[in-house]
Formats: sequence, C-alpha cells, structure tokens
Amino acid sequence: MIDPRLDVIGRRLEPVGRIIPVSSAKGGVGKSVCAALLALSFSTQGYRTGLLDLDFQGASAHLLLDVRLDFPEEESGIKPLRTGNLDFMSFAAFSREHAVPLRGSEVSQAMLELLAITIWDPLEILLIDMPPGIGDEIFDVLRYLRDPEFLVVTTPSSLVRHVVQRLLAMLSEMKVPVIGVIENMVHPGGDCQAAALAEKYGTTLLGSVPFERDIDDLVTGAVRGNPLPETLASAIGSLTARIASADG
Amino acid sequence: MHEWALADAVISTVERLYEENGRKRVLSVRVLIGELQHIEMEAFSLGLQNLLAERPFSTDVFHFEKEKASFRCNACGKGWLLEQHPELGEEELEAIHFLPEAAHVYMRCPGCGSPDFALEKGRGVTIKSIELSDD
Repeated sequence: MIDPRLDVIGRRLEPVGRIIPVSSAKGGVGKSVCAALLALSFSTQGYRTGLLDLDFQGASAHLLLDVRLDFPEEESGIKPLRTGNLDFMSFAAFSREHAVPLRGSEVSQAMLELLAITIWDPLEILLIDMPPGIGDEIFDVLRYLRDPEFLVVTTPSSLVRHVVQRLLAMLSEMKVPVIGVIENMVHPGGDCQAAALAEKYGTTLLGSVPFERDIDDLVTGAVRGNPLPETLASAIGSLTARIASADG
Repeated sequence: MHEWALADAVISTVERLYEENGRKRVLSVRVLIGELQHIEMEAFSLGLQNLLAERPFSTDVFHFEKEKASFRCNACGKGWLLEQHPELGEEELEAIHFLPEAAHVYMRCPGCGSPDFALEKGRGVTIKSIELSDD
C-alpha cells in the first residue's frame, strides 16, 4: 500500500514561507495564546499570516481568534477559514465543540489529511499551535513539514521550566532550528530564569509576555479591533520584531 | 470538490514512481477507495482526467476498488461495518468526508458505546499497487 498524500504535502506548502510551530512540553503554558497573539501581530504588521491548529484534542485557537466554524470551502482542495486578515485551519472545523478522542496513529492520519487537502494561499508566515508534549505531532511536523523553526513557550514556574527543558534538549539533540524561548505569564518584578534555560540549549530568550487575568478575552477583543493593554502589546510587538528578524 | 486534491496526490505518487523507475510505461494503478470517506467517484475521476491531461499516463490505467469500512472497539473487542452503525446525520457525514478521523468524534461502538475504537479498513484513498512495464 502506498499513501499518496505523502507525495503532495510538500507542494501544498510551497506557497508558505516560514513555518513556525509554537510548542511546549507542558500544557497550560499559553501556547495557543502566544500563537494567536503572534499571528494577529504579524498580520497587523502586513505579513500574510496563517495559523494551523494542530492541537486536535485541545483545539482552542478558533475560540481565541473568534473563528466561525463553517465547513471549509472546496476548490481543488479545501480553503483555509478566514478571521480578520488571518488564514486559519483546525480539526475543529470538522469536530466543532465535540470531544476528539484520537489515538496517536489517528492523530497522524488526520494531520496528513489536513496537510494534503488544505490549499494555502501565499503566506509569509504559518504559525502552528502545537499540542503539549513531545509526541506524534512534533515528530510528524519534523517529518513532513519543510524547515520548521520552533518557538518554545515556558512560564516562570520551575516545574514548567524543568519539563520544557526536556523539549529543548530533544530539539537540540535533533539539531532542529529553534528561533527562541518565550516566557509567558510573567508577573512584574519576577525573577526570570528562562534566559539561562534558553542559553543552556544554544538558543535565546526572545522576550516575556506579562500575565493578564483575562488574556483569552483580550485576544478575542483584539480580533474585533480592541487594543491590547500597553504592556502586552509592547511585549508582543517586540517578540514579533525579534522573530521577523530571525528569518533565515 | 476536495476529491481533486486527493486525485492530485495519487497522480503525484504515480509521477514520482514513473520518474524514479526510468520513465517506464505505467501499465496499471490500482486505487483503493475506502468507504468511510464517501468519495464522490465522479468528482475524483474528473480530477484525475483533468490533471492527467498534460501527463504521459492515461486514465485507462487507473482501476478503482472499493473497500468497506470496518471498525473494532478497543474497549470491548466488537467489530462492525459502517453500514451496521446507526445512521449518521448529514453534517457528521460531511465532516467525515473531509477528515475521516472525524468518525471518532461522531461514531461510537455499537456494542458498548465507547469512542475508543480503531478503523481497521476502508479509510480513504490509498494506492494498492502500481505496475510498470519491464521494457
């Protein structure tokens, strides 16, 4: 048996410039929030930007970005959904708000299918909201996507840092490009140890994102045109600039 | 018509093997069409036909074989066929058509009701065999 999808995925992603998985080995650190905020920031600055939610079982980017979950339009494949200036794709387009009970091999199958049938318009940046952990999705991204550049999200929690360290170690061992580390949920005056963590694995701390109690609502508000709080906007703007300048 | 994208994938594989094997003539391509994905054969064939227009293979070499979808429950071990599952709604079928893994969202084991089941056969489009000429 031959899986024909494997022969077409590369071509489907040809119109896409940089592929940036936003990942972390730990759940609940704000990967989706960071991915959504960065996607909004890039698109606001005029970059043609897409967001692919590969966290099938915990899909939430559509909620943050206020995406209306209609079935995608078909046109020699399926077209990404749109929210604001963003192109968007997620398993949630098909599962809506139901549970998605998939085992590992099924996650891989679903990912291959989405990659094989989604027809992306030209994009400069495709951010990928990754699920937590070091599992099928990371290995599939490394196997099927061209030159992914990882962003790794951590928080000030020492527990999170310990777990995230394992992902950084693995990416370093596999010589996978890591743009840098983002420290999320940072309280003012906190002791930042993420820089040392990043440095230990040959990468850099790109910046910190301040803790905001109502961050989900703030992101959704931003999609609707409401300004982000100044400190948050400044942090995301600075991250966007650093990621953009890390190109290539 | 996302069948077009799947037809494109099949042709890409045939083209790759054709190139890798010294452009030997393609005698036959056997394509398995899994029942679960509810492929519209007319749309799929039309996609093949159009995509083959500028390629050195004709549609005549493509043969299709339908494969029934069968499942087995990981919890209780019961096996069943798609046709034995309670009928799904139009939206659910449409979701599965786009992404067959959506079956795990909308189907349950008819024996014990578990969502933890495996699709054993009949998922979607795969190539069963490609035969190239010896000369």
